[in-house]
This record gives sequence, structure tokens and C-alpha cells, in this order.
Amino acid sequence: MPEITLTDVSLKEYGLTPRVSALRDVYFRVMPEICVERPRLVTSFSVDNNFFDKERISILDKARLYRYVLETRDPIVHHSRGYEKGMKPFEFKDASLFAGSTTSKFKGVIMYPEFLALTLWPELWTISRRASNPFHITDKEVDELNFKIFPHWMEHNITELARKRCYEENLKKCGIEKHCPEMKLLERLVFFLASKPNCISHTIPDFSRAISHGLRAVINEANDKRGQTTDQSAKEFYAAICEVLQGIITYSKNLATKAQEMADSEADPAVKNELLDIAAINRKVPELPAETFREGLTTIWICWTAIHLENPNVGLSLGRLDQVLYELYRRDIDAGNIELQDAIELLCCLWLKIGDHVPSIPDTGEQLFGGTGSNQAITIGGVDKNGNDAVNDLTYCMLKATELMKLRDPNPNARYHPGVNSPDYLRRLCAVNIDTGAIPAIHNDRAVIKALTSKGETVEQARDYGVIGCVEPGSNGRFYGHSAAILLNLTSVLELTLYNGRHRHTGKDVLISKETGDPTTFNSFDDFKRALEEQLHWLVDQSTILNNMLGRVHQDFYPTPILSAFFEGPMDKGKDLIQGGAIINSSGATVIGLADVADSLSAIQRVVFEENAVSFAELLDALDKNFEGHEILQQRLMNPEKTPKYGNEDPVADANVAWIIEAVDKAFAEKENYRGGRYRVGYWTMTNHAGFGRLMEALPNGRKAHENFTSGITPVSGVTPYLSQALNSVAKQPAECLSSGVALNLKYIPEQGASMLQNFVASVEGYFDDAGGERDGGMEIQFNITTHDTLVEAVTDPEKHRELLVRVSGYTAYFKDLNPQMQKEIIDRTEYLLSTGKMVHYDPFPLPERKS
Amino acid sequence: MASRLKRTVLGFIAALLSDRVGLFLAKIRSKRLRDELSDQVTDKFLELLLSGMDLAFCLSKGYRKNIRNFEGRYLFRTADDRIVAAATFKGGDMKVHGGTIDEWDARVTFKDGAALRAFIFSRDHDILNSILANDVEIDGNFNYIYKFGFMARDLARRLGVA
Repeated sequence: MPEITLTDVSLKEYGLTPRVSALRDVYFRVMPEICVERPRLVTSFSVDNNFFDKERISILDKARLYRYVLETRDPIVHHSRGYEKGMKPFEFKDASLFAGSTTSKFKGVIMYPEFLALTLWPELWTISRRASNPFHITDKEVDELNFKIFPHWMEHNITELARKRCYEENLKKCGIEKHCPEMKLLERLVFFLASKPNCISHTIPDFSRAISHGLRAVINEANDKRGQTTDQSAKEFYAAICEVLQGIITYSKNLATKAQEMADSEADPAVKNELLDIAAINRKVPELPAETFREGLTTIWICWTAIHLENPNVGLSLGRLDQVLYELYRRDIDAGNIELQDAIELLCCLWLKIGDHVPSIPDTGEQLFGGTGSNQAITIGGVDKNGNDAVNDLTYCMLKATELMKLRDPNPNARYHPGVNSPDYLRRLCAVNIDTGAIPAIHNDRAVIKALTSKGETVEQARDYGVIGCVEPGSNGRFYGHSAAILLNLTSVLELTLYNGRHRHTGKDVLISKETGDPTTFNSFDDFKRALEEQLHWLVDQSTILNNMLGRVHQDFYPTPILSAFFEGPMDKGKDLIQGGAIINSSGATVIGLADVADSLSAIQRVVFEENAVSFAELLDALDKNFEGHEILQQRLMNPEKTPKYGNEDPVADANVAWIIEAVDKAFAEKENYRGGRYRVGYWTMTNHAGFGRLMEALPNGRKAHENFTSGITPVSGVTPYLSQALNSVAKQPAECLSSGVALNLKYIPEQGASMLQNFVASVEGYFDDAGGERDGGMEIQFNITTHDTLVEAVTDPEKHRELLVRVSGYTAYFKDLNPQMQKEIIDRTEYLLSTGKMVHYDPFPLPERKS
Repeated sequence: MASRLKRTVLGFIAALLSDRVGLFLAKIRSKRLRDELSDQVTDKFLELLLSGMDLAFCLSKGYRKNIRNFEGRYLFRTADDRIVAAATFKGGDMKVHGGTIDEWDARVTFKDGAALRAFIFSRDHDILNSILANDVEIDGNFNYIYKFGFMARDLARRLGVA
């Protein structure tokens, strides 16, 4: 157990250094620029090596491709030019302590034509002028993408390869041409989303071997294993590992050479020395073991850029950095090689590097689900594999860097184990939340470890969990769970039940799923629940069939040698991660609309079946009319005193939530994925609760058409007047059914004085409390601590609040980047005053106009 | 829609002209399309768009680069088959069909001319947006639609109505 040697864990005497301050200013000033380097290199190599004619791309093919990209890409030590608002160019000085970048730009949009880059094709000429999150692109780059890159991928990106395969299989099976019903459901957008067309991602690599042994040692080991095995596919796998690791080493050495050249021509001795330091470090790592804290950070950074060259930046996460790097940190501090300020400065520089790229999202994606970063989570604190307190001095340094930088990426997540981690630590986590307004999210180790062990992980594996993407727990570096593989719209399950297999969005005359009975003929609430469970199983079937099919396409066309090289399992099994090489394999589904569906069930139970206040036919009529002419019914449905609402410790409402959670977990857990693992379920919605909400009609809980759904596992806004009751309702939900993580979003009003921090800490302790074993306690909690007025002002004056950080539902975003629907959702969240423990007056905010 | 003879003549003229002059001619010849793009849209929109593209491919070398080495078959129709048209691309040439075609890479079923225009041209919207509104349904390979979307917007840009 590490000793805390800091006299002040808040490190309040430390601030931003001039270097970091200048870099941070540039970071917020610069607009993202589309980078064509990766697609250019990937495409030219694929053409030259006839990849587009192959029926299958081997892992060695891919490894040679990535080695080529790594060795050929421009080694940029420091950037010097960017574009600001209005796309005006400006010069700046980049004095980062780390060389290299994910793209060729200071803040780049990385493109993967193998996945969804072609969705940007129609808007290439307008993307720099679009309302939401514009990207700079030059005419030359438009031409290159349009003429030289995109045409090659028209038949060969993952979606179209999957569609082709599905067409072929269905033609053989049922003789229908161009038939792929699961894909069609995905394209309808209201049933579920699948992330495999977009990525192999949402996992945590293992950096510990790269740091402690260096990549050369891993290459040697792979070569040895290659010589020992007789299995041809394993031989190919080990050869692939050698290829990509050599590519990473060369990239770092190329950076070293470039830094040396820059140093040679540099007149300023201070700058010259800094460049020489970079050259020396990058010449050594990641090839050889890191021996200093900075070398350890450089190893992670260089490997991280390589991982992103292979895999889209969607929730790839860095894991428990305070554990992985602690030994190097401790050694340097104890030897007097670095001071605390140096360590914090290095972390700040790394944080900025991690956020040096943004995802490429088409305009409608921005409208529906926009504002996201790349959700690169880092995890701090918690317990070690033996269950001991793992919080160390570096944990506090990382918290300090987080507090100083207030960045969207990386997405900081703190683990807290009640009874093991210190109260001072929890107090510090809450203080940083108050200071930053939104970070870090706090996870309850006790409940999370229980959830993971219930799915078969050993206690040691579960204790070593890191947070993936938004909030998903996964054993660090050994768990490939693709936790966002499926995003299931639970309200569509309700819709299919209400309309006997039909959906108002696709037309009430079209049978989408199967007929489970006309609800107006149901005699009891149990009849309705039975029908809903059937519809749930149907939708789970469709989404998992598609996910597995897409996974098999990945296996044939998108092997992942780089990610496999940084994982526990593949090296021992001689098998790629996506072939099941990881120690723990699963797939993840996250569910959107829990509270709205649960409250709808409670409404049907109470109002239709128990009190017979309206018939089912009258309820459906009210829904079809969006409650017009049925205002009294809607008011009743919205009133927690008349209709049970989740979040008030109402036994009916909370039982309906638990019933859904258990039913969803059971439906998914029955399914096997394409790697032989099982599906896990979580309740974190990113911005999908706003996106799906926009598409859906009125619901029985009184929600009107096209309004936002509620985020994550959070109760519906405006119907939970007491904070403690809201927390208790969530905390009693069964952790073993929530193994892919939850996001409970709370909004606290900033208050003056020390009592706010005390009350804040008490609210977290109360939520995590397991009531002597009677419940699991809440798994995760995240906050927005910003006044209503500030958020409203940020809608009308986004530039004044360009750094305003908010928690969406899982990840963190800059409020100005969110689409209007999502901005409204954040503003409309229930606001609690901690000093009273009560909700303040709830008054929904009008939907902001979309900028033109 | 340009006849074969007309296309040959136009192609010959275009070869003698600069791209700028070619575009100028295309601009003059496609006034109705420009009106439909910037003003009231009618059910003639699809026909005008396809013939506008066809003409621009004939007259503008720069625009024609879009279909060099490109093969693709598109079917456009309303659900009730009130409007049906197809466009095929092969050998650097575009062919517009007044009716249906059997084989297609992408099929676009749209509600009306306005829905189709919104689908392809609406500012600050992309192709998915119309699908969300259920105004347009796509079958087949979406990448062909993305390419068509680019070409259509590129045409509008060159005609000065983007």
C-alpha cells in the first residue's frame, strides 16, 4: 500500500506553468482540421498490395500496412500553425514536452475510410462552414479525398462488406435479393445503433510491459514464440506483432531524428536543450524500458498514437495510469530528478496530447449525437489486486492536472472504495468536481467489483478494473468487451409493445417485429409485461445478430495487431484480440430510455390496470394525439403524487425499474458473441437519449413527442423532489445486472461556504452505502455543478463560455459543442440544492434554435 | 437530357473551351435547375438535377473528373412510382434513364421533389437527416449515395448556388 507523502493533497500551491498555459490557450483557440495523412497512406498501401481484391485481409497484411504508415508518416515534433474561428490561419509556438501527434495537425480530425469516413463525402465542400463543430479542410484535401481516397473504399468499408455478406447469406437462405433485415433496422435509427461499422474500440490496452520491458523485448518474445509454434495462424500472428512494434519503434526514432535536426539548427540554448531531451528520450523509448517518469509517459504517448492509427478514437481508454506509472514517478521524486511541479507539468502536456484529435462526425450525427470527444477515459484510485488502498501521490498529481486543465479529453474517472480509500481522497474528488464543474466521475469499487465478479471475472481481475470510454468497467488490459457495441433504444421496445409490433416512426401499418397482442385486449398488467418481454427479446435478437455479423466481418477484414500487442492474452494464445485472444471476452450493450420506460410501465400499471382511470384505448389515443385534448391525463401521468415515479423510493416504480434491468440483462446474457463471450449491459447514454428522444412520439409516462429521454440510469427530470430518495432508488438496483456500467447524472447548484463540500461528500457516501449488505449501493455518479443562468447564457453566448465543461451521460463535453436538444437536456436536468437536499423549481427550458 | 449526338457535339465544344467557359455555358443552360435549387421546388426537380449533371459533365472538364473511372447505377423513385428516373455512370459518361432499371447499386425512394432536394442539398444537413424524417429511404450501398451527394453539391457549387 503506497504511503501518501504529500502534505497537501490538493496541491494548491501548484498552478499552470507558462508552457502549459500557452499550449492550453492554443488548444482552445484552434479549430479542428481534417487530416488526410492516414487515409492517404492506408489507401495507397492497400491499392499497391491488392488489398481490395482479397477475400480476406490477414493480420500480417494489416501489420505490414500499419508498419508502413508508422514509418512513412511525417514525424512532427512541434506544430506551428492552426486555424481559429472564422478559419483564419495563425502561427503559434508549440513547446510540448512530448513529440508526435495523432494526426498531422495540432488538433486533427482523424479519418478511417475503412469505417465511416465516407459519410463525410457529401459535405466536404461545406464542412468548414457547418453550424455544429466545423472542421477546417483545404480545397486540395477535398480533391484528394474525393478523387484519390474515397472511391477505393466504396465497396470495401466495413458496413458495405457486411451488407454484401448479409445479402449473399440471405439470398442462399431465403432466395430474396438484397435482403438484410437487421441492417435495415439499424438504418431506421430508432431501434438500435451499432458501433462496429465505426470502430473496433471501447477497451483498455495494457502499457505495463511496454514501460517495464520495452517493445524490443516484446518483439524478441514474439520471435521466440513464432519459432516454437507449429500453428500457422499463430506464426502469422507473432510475425504481425513484430511488424507493428518495429513500426512504432521507427516512428519514435524518426521523431528523435527530427528533434535532433531541429536542435542542431536552434539558436536558443533553452529550446535547443529541450529538443535534445526529446531526441534522447524518443531514441530510447518505447524500444527500451522506461527508466524515468517522463520516459514512461512518452512510451504511453507514442504507443497511444499508434493504437489510434489502427483503431478509431471511440472510447479507447488509457486505464489506471496512476498505477502503471507510479513506480517511475516515485523513483524520480525520491531521487530528486523531478519536482512535483515537473510531474504536474508533464501530466498537463500529456493531457493536451491525448486530446489532440477529434472524431469525424457527419452533420446529422452532430445534430443527433454531437459534441462528443473521443472519450478516452483514464482511471485513478480505488484498490489494488489484493484489495488494498491503491491511491498514491501520483493519483493526486493527476487530479491536480485534471483540475488545472479542465479538458474534455482525457475523461477522468476516479474509483473510490468505501471503507478502504480514505475520506480525504473522497473529499478531494468532490472538491475537484466543484472546481471543474464536471469532473471526475466517481465509481463505487464495492458495487463495480461485485458486478464484474458476477459475470465470471476473478476477484483480482475485477479489482484491477479501469474505466472504458464513458463509464464502463473492464479489467485493465485483459478485457475486450467492446462496451458500446450496441446502443439499444428501450423506448422502441415499449413502442412495439404498445402498437402490437408496429412503430409510429416507421408507420403504424408496417409490422416491424412480431405481434404480441393488442394491448387494449390485455386483462392485466402482467399481460403487458409479458408482451414487452417478448418484444425485448426480439430486439435483442436483431441487434446481437447484426453485431455478431459485423464482428465476423472485422475478423476477416480488420485484424488488430497493434491493439493485440498491448493486451494480456493474445501473446499467450497466439491469437488476435478480435479472434478471442483477450483473457476476458464479451460484448456490451448500453440501454437508452430506462427511466422513461419504467415510469411508463408504472403509469400503465397504476392508471390503466389498478385504478381503471383510463382505458388502454384512451391512453393510446392520448399518445397518438401527443396529449392534445388530454392535458388533464398528461398532468396526472407527470405527477409523482398520483403516478409512481422512479427516484422517489416508491416501491411500485422502483420495482418496475428492477424488473426491466433484470429482464434486459437476462435477454442479453443469453446471447453469445462472435468471440465466444457473452453480452453485458450498461445504462449510460452519451447523447443518445436526446437523439432518440427527438425521433420518438409521446409515451405513457406523460413525456410528449420528440422530447428528450432521460440520461443513463438517472430518474426523469422534474419528478424527484428529494435528493436522498433519488439516490436511494438508484442505489438499490442490482449491480450484477449493470456490469457494463451506469451513469447517474446529478446537477448540484453551486453554493458558498465549506458546507457545500461536506454535503457533497455526504451525498456520495450515502449513495455508495450498501446499507449493511441490504443493497449493492450506487455504482457510479457524475455531476454538473454549474448554475442554471450560466448554462442559459452559454446557449446565447457560446464564445464567452467556450471552456464550459459539462457531463453529458458518461463522457464530458464542452457545452458550446452540444446540439440544441442536448443543451436543453442538460439545462432541464433536476437541480438540487445540497443545503436543503431538495429540488429547486423545475421549469423546462425552450429548445434553443439551431445556429445557421 | 442530352441525346447522343448532342452530347458528342457538346463534348467536342467543351474540349475546345476552358473549364470556366464550359461552366458558364452549363450555368446558362441550367437556369431552371438553379431556380429549383434556390427557390420553389417542384416534382421536376429530379429530372432537372439529372439533366443538369449530365450537361455539366459534358461541358466541364473539372466536373467530369468526378466520373472518370466511376461505375454506378442509381434508381430514384417515389413510393407510388409517380416519379421514376435512373442514372448510370460508366466509362466517364453519364446516362439518364426516364424509367426504371433492373440492377442498381443504390435505390432512393423519396416522398416528393422537396424531400429529395432536402435530402441532397439542404444546408447543414446531410443524407441521414432525411432518412430520420422518413422522407427518403435508401436501399443498397450507401457509399454510392454519399458520392452522388458530393457530385450534386459540387455541381451546385460550380453553378454558384451552393
